[in-house]
Amino acid sequence: MDPKYHEGARPNGAALAAFLAAGIGGFAMGLIVILSETGVFEAPVLYEPAGGVSGRTTLAVVVWLVAWAALHARWKAREVAHRGVATAALLLLLSGIALCTPPIWGLFS
Amino acid sequence: MDTLLFSERSLWTMLHGVVLGGGSLMALAASLFSLCSMRAVATSGAAADQQARHLATLLVLTAVLLWLALLVGTYITFPPYRAAPPEGLTDLSAYPRALIRANPATAWLHSFAMETKEHVPWIAAMLATAVAAVCLRYRSQVLSDRPLNGMATAVVTICLLLVAYAGVLGVFVNKVAPLE
Repeated sequence: MDPKYHEGARPNGAALAAFLAAGIGGFAMGLIVILSETGVFEAPVLYEPAGGVSGRTTLAVVVWLVAWAALHARWKAREVAHRGVATAALLLLLSGIALCTPPIWGLFS
Repeated sequence: MDTLLFSERSLWTMLHGVVLGGGSLMALAASLFSLCSMRAVATSGAAADQQARHLATLLVLTAVLLWLALLVGTYITFPPYRAAPPEGLTDLSAYPRALIRANPATAWLHSFAMETKEHVPWIAAMLATAVAAVCLRYRSQVLSDRPLNGMATAVVTICLLLVAYAGVLGVFVNKVAPLE
């Protein structure tokens, strides 16, 4: 049964905010990695024994959490068209995963 | 006993890969099965609420296991993996990255496998956290709302594939150059 017809059903905005933010976080991870690999931007090393991965991953997590907080604040009480948001989240996510894959780095260097 | 069966580094590696990584894989598989099977029978009411509560608990457990696997992997097992050997050392068995890179036949285990493993699982943890938060907030609506259930199922599927992919790469690395 469609939830829109359930009494007391929550609007889908918070769910879409969570999924889109995960897509943004995934893309941020890929972008930070490719910028690091091409020498354009290097995230600071936060824990020397682990090296650059500590800064890159922490930065991506911060981007994800900020995006989630911002989207949640805007959408939590709204019904949002899910198809466009789901497509955007999926594209961001797949792009991020691709950018984290070493064979792709060669295309940019 | 003169020698320990497992070194401390080896125990941390097993905790990272087998307990936390393997546990999150099993929890993801169970979550995916639950999302697919419960939607067919979920209605409103106490039974659906109870099912949704179990699913939310499972997904929270999944996210916690994944974050712990990441933190242990990145901050405890990765540093000894990437440690540089002293100049002139010929036995590289205590330095997995150097050992792997010294042989052209295994160099890809660092340049592809480990480089991928450093970042991709973090994306999986973001996805698992997102879907756990959605299940906590929406409860039985995740089972009865078709678009919401579809998105949650897709996210858990992608997460499962990413964790399985990273796990297999980790097994390859550990088979060739274990942290002893």
